[in-house]
Parts: sequence; C-alpha cells; structure tokens
Amino acid sequence: MSVPTAPTEGRAPSAPPPGTTTSRERQPKSAPLSAIARRRSLTGWTFIIPAAALIVLVNFWPMIQALFLSLQTGRGTRLSWAEPLWLNYQRLFEDETFRLTMSTTFIYLIIQVPIMLVLAMVLANLLNAPWLKFKGFWRTAIFLPCAVGLVSYSLVFRQIFATDGLANDLLIKFGLLDDNVNWLGQTGTARMVIILGLLWRWTGYNMIFFLAALQNIDRSTLEAARVDGANGFKTFWYVTMPQLKPIILLCAILSTNGTLQMFDESFNLTNGGPGNTTMTVSHYLYNVSFRNSPNFGYAAAISYAILIIVAILAAIQMKVGDKRD
Amino acid sequence: MKKTRTLGALGAVLSLSLALAACSGGDGGSGSDETTGADGGSGDNTLTVWAWDPAFNIFALEEAEKVFQADNPDFKLEIVETPWEDVQTKLTTLAQSGETDQLPDIFLMQNNAFQKNVINYPDIFADFADSDVDFSEFPESVVAYSTYDDVNYGVPFDNGTAIGAYRTDLLEQAGYTVDDFTDITWDQFLTLGKDVLAKTGKPLLTGQAGSADTIMMMLQSAGASLFDDEGMPTITDNEALLAAIDMYGQLVDAGVFVEVNSWDEYINTIVNSNTAGIVNGVWISGSIQSAADQSGKWAVTNVPKLDGVDGATNYTANGGSSWAITPNGNEALASDFLDATFAGSTEFYDTILPASGALANWLPAGESDVYSEPQEFFGGQPIYADVLKFAAEVPSNNTGAYYYEGRDAVSVAITNIFNGADPEAALEEAQQTVEFAMG
Repeated sequence: MSVPTAPTEGRAPSAPPPGTTTSRERQPKSAPLSAIARRRSLTGWTFIIPAAALIVLVNFWPMIQALFLSLQTGRGTRLSWAEPLWLNYQRLFEDETFRLTMSTTFIYLIIQVPIMLVLAMVLANLLNAPWLKFKGFWRTAIFLPCAVGLVSYSLVFRQIFATDGLANDLLIKFGLLDDNVNWLGQTGTARMVIILGLLWRWTGYNMIFFLAALQNIDRSTLEAARVDGANGFKTFWYVTMPQLKPIILLCAILSTNGTLQMFDESFNLTNGGPGNTTMTVSHYLYNVSFRNSPNFGYAAAISYAILIIVAILAAIQMKVGDKRD
Repeated sequence: MKKTRTLGALGAVLSLSLALAACSGGDGGSGSDETTGADGGSGDNTLTVWAWDPAFNIFALEEAEKVFQADNPDFKLEIVETPWEDVQTKLTTLAQSGETDQLPDIFLMQNNAFQKNVINYPDIFADFADSDVDFSEFPESVVAYSTYDDVNYGVPFDNGTAIGAYRTDLLEQAGYTVDDFTDITWDQFLTLGKDVLAKTGKPLLTGQAGSADTIMMMLQSAGASLFDDEGMPTITDNEALLAAIDMYGQLVDAGVFVEVNSWDEYINTIVNSNTAGIVNGVWISGSIQSAADQSGKWAVTNVPKLDGVDGATNYTANGGSSWAITPNGNEALASDFLDATFAGSTEFYDTILPASGALANWLPAGESDVYSEPQEFFGGQPIYADVLKFAAEVPSNNTGAYYYEGRDAVSVAITNIFNGADPEAALEEAQQTVEFAMG
C-alpha cells in the first residue's frame, strides 16, 4: 500500500513510517465509503465539532468582527463606515509611529529568532549527549525561564539593567566597563536588553521541542553514519538536521508569530522608550486603543496588518523549509 | 494537496494571531469575569466603586462610608480594587460594547484622562447638574479637568498641586535655606543648583528620562498647554513649551537634574539621599516620608517659575484624580454620598489626611486644625495648609481628548532633542504626530 508513495532515498525521516497510511492515500474521494468507514467518519466529526464550533464562535467570529471594525472610523463609540472603506489601511502607510514600531519589531525578529533557534539547537544536542550527567537538572534549569511570568521577568530585567543595577555593578567589578552604562536610556542598548530578555525567556522553550525531536531520531541512522566514517559535525549536519527539519520549521513559525505579537517586554521593560524606539507594534496597538483617544477602527487595521505579515512569513517559511510534497 | 496543507497551516497561524484581533475588536467581550458590576437594581443602599490604592483612595472611601453611614445606617459601599490601567481598559471595553450595566456606580479617574473619556464615552458618565455639590469650593483649575461644555462630571479627590521639596540639611551645607528657593525663577534655580552640586555633589532634581512630567508642570505653571481652546495642538510656536524644554535641557546638561529610567529608580534617588530636592505633585510627600531617617530634614515651598513667559507663576500641578458617577439608576444616591463626604465633610478630611496623606482639594477642609498642624517630618512646617494655599493659585490648563498623544509626542521630541535634533524641527514633528493621531 505504501509503495506508490514511498519516499525517495534519503528523504525517509519526514514521511510517516511504512504501515501507517494516512487517510489521503486511502481512497479516491468519489468511491463510496463502506459502512464502517462512514461510521468512523461520523465518530470523528462528533469529536471534532464541539471544539471546532467553540473555536469558530470565540475565535473566528471576533476576527470577522474585527475585520468589519477595521473598515470603520471614528473615536470611541462614534464609529461609521470609512470613506473609502480601506481608509484605515491607507492610514497605516502614512503613520510614522507604525513604521517605527514595525521596523523595531522586525529588528527583534531578525536578530532574536535565528540566535535563539541556533542556541536551542546547540543546547538540545548537548542535553541529548549520552555522556551528560544530571540531565534532568540541566533540562529543568534551561526550561525553567519559560515558567516565569512575562511581566515579572520584564521587571527583573529592568532592575538588572538599571543604571545602578546588577549588570553595571558586575561589569565594572570585572573591569569590562569603566563607568555605568545607561542601558535602557539609549536605543541600541535598550533594544539589546529586550533581545537578551527574549533569548533568556524563550530559548529553553524551543530547546524542549528540539530535544523531543532528537529523542525520536533512530540511533541506528547515527550509527550507520559513523560506520560510514562521518565525523560528529557531519553526522549532525547530514543525518540529524534533515530529520529535525519539520520541528525547526514549527519553531521558526511559532517564534516569528510570537515575536511579531510581542507586548509585555516592550510595555514593562522599557515602556517603549527612549522616544518610542523600543516599542513593538502590539504595544502601539494597545496605546491606540486604551491610552490614546480610542480609535478602534484603526487599531483593528493594525492587528490585521500584523496578521497579514505573520501569514505571509509563515507561508514563506513553509515554502522554503518544508519540501515534503 | 499542498494547497490544503498550506491553508491548514495558515489557519493555525490565524488562530494564533487571534488573541490580538479579538483584543482590538473591543466588542469581542472583555473576557474578564464581571462579578462586581452593579446591575442598576442591586440594593438601593449599596454603591459599587472602582478605585485603585488600598492605602490611599480606597482607604478614603472606607472612611467616607463610615461618615455617610452616620446618617444613613443602611448605606453600604462595595469597593472593588482596580488598578488605574484596568479601570481605563474596563471602561473602554464596556463603553465600546455598550454593556454599560456592568459599570460600577462610582469610579475614580485620573484627571488627565477625564476629558478624553467624557468626550469619547459620554454614555458612561452622569453629570452633577442635579446634585448639591458646590463646585466653587474646589480650586478652579482642578474642577476644569472634569468639566466639559460647562457641565461637571467629576468631584475632585486627591490633590496634584506641585511642591518644591528640599533637603534642608544639604542646602545648609551649601549655605542656603529653603527661603532661597521660594518664589524664584528657573534661571535662579539653575544657578543655585550648580552651586549646590559643586558643594554637596548632589543634584537638586531627579526625574524619569523620556517622561514629560517636569515639562508639563512648567507648562501648566504658565497656564499654557499643548492644546488651544478648540482642542487643536499647539506644540509648534508654543513660547512656554520652548522655554520649558530649553530650561529642562540646561538643567540636565548642568547635572542639576539627573535623569533615571524607571519610577523605582526615581523613588530611590529620594530615599537614598541622592538628590537635594524634588519637584512633583504633593502626593510625592508620601514617598519622601517613607525614608524615616530623613525626618526633620525636608521643607516644602512653591516651585520655580519660567522666565520671560507671559502668565508664568510659581504654582502648578501634576496628576490628581476625580470621582465620576455612572447613569445606572443610583446616581442620586451616588452624588449625595460624594456631596456629603468628599465635597462636604471636614470631619472626613481630618481623618484621612493624617492616616493616609490624602490631601483635600476641597478648600474648606484647609481651615480645619488638622491641616495647620505642624508636620514633624518637615521640620515642624504645616505643609498641608501651605499646599492648599498653593492649590488655589494653580492656573488651569486644557488637557483635551488628546492629552496622552500630545504628551507622548512631546516626550519623544525631548528625547530626540537631547540626542542632537533641532528643537523646532523636533517639535514640528511632534505636532504632526499629534495631528495625524487626531485625523
């Protein structure tokens, strides 16, 4: 049964193991379902429908409402259909603050996500090494940061990088700095602190995904590579990495999505300062809705802009990263 | 097949971005469990109130409840502790979704946000036109925050009158007394500050970098603001604003004003004796007094005024809040309650002042003995009576519905100016930012 779709040589890892056929291979659509198949299908739908209905009701319906909202303009409750309808979207292109926050968000994304994924990969490999002692301890220690609340860790980072904070004290003590640095008072260093915070908070989270994937890799493939004379790096690059591809893709999409919607760090760590240069788009969206004179039509347009960008980036990543079909 | 999978993944991504879209949708429901909202008909003698500080405004409410219960034994307050940011988001969400029956009967609102909310959400406010509250017993500048189209929407609560508080021991080291800082201009202040810095190594002021607090106080001291009477931004060609920014720059350059990054650091400069003075709303006296070892070493006077600016005075304000009532069927009781307590009971203000430092805006309270008692922490000075005298002198300024936009844009401009941008160009940009936000 699996013969027609058997993967080509060397592409085995991402395809399902032989024997477990997926439904799409089973039968052409037009063929009538057997009674058993129909009952199974019905059971499946019964399980899916409650959750799906809830998702549609509390997720997709508000999204559609937000779409309509983004086509309206006005302050507070005095909303009316925009003239032209896409006015709020047009407004995005003229909005200097939106441009600034968007580019800041992309800076976080471009610097932080690759560093984090590489770091997570390295850590996962170290933790997966058979010679490592106290594995449980190391795993917990590295994973623990993502059990910390976003607000609390932001506040702690703000304390550490205060002008009279721990970071300056330590760096001066070890002779790496001569004078206190105003970390959060300058655009470059403030952005760096946010990226550091993100790395600390999220590397362990992604590492767990990689670790899980690594443990699913058949050791015999690694042994085979070693027998063929591949060194450690070659084994990792040509044998391990291809098998991790789907999970890397997943982590990349999740991280991209998360970073583009980042709010807590911008709000609590730097409060967008200095001069709005560390503010993320989501933080700006919050300001437009709740701090400033409320402009919900425009805020909805901003959220749709984020959605569109996330969707495009995810599509690109899938195109580049996922070559299973 | 590929397409379906891509679509599926897009669907997954879409659902992830949902929180955000739903959030901004406003009508998607606030998601918070609203067990506390009064539903109009809940017991005729119970009022629900939102306020945010247990040691301050909530404490005042509890005392007010006792005072009012003396004549109305059945009366009860149900106080819901709600941080200010949450009050604003809840009000916005409820007003936007039309769920006004979830509103409390009374809520506390920052003065700077009052106009914005009254203008955008008139439905959540009941006015005081039919009440007995005598608004002439409050300073005009304070009542102005909650007045729109000549209608009163708020009873002023805490006092944001600005004080200049100075460390007398440090001033003495430099050969000065607090009198040298009374009724002075910012130019004189700068000269004095350089001398104090040279002799004691301490700055005279500290503040949060990127916060426009000090600039806004300077502006209001000259009766100026970022908006004209029609509510249009006047960030460019604003003589007082340019003078304020220029003075602020000089103070920072000279090291007389030290900028820190967060509120905690700011409070630490006071508590750790890293500054010889502070200029802020009188509520800062609470933080000053948290450093018990500094008792007797502080004195309070008025603030410096801008040189060469029309209408400049030595009086200004920062912050403060007012009580608003909602049209939920209990507004008569709510306004009676506020009238009998926050706008009519010296006994009440005499209790809350010593216990929580909540200084009245209600002028008759200042005549009571409690206000003129000498404060040991401030070297025996009766600072509360003094501050109430300042309060009556504070010029009003127009906050308008776009106060936060204006203030944030000016904060950005100040940061840019300090990084070398041309002041006029930076302010022009700020003006455009605000105009864009209003458009």
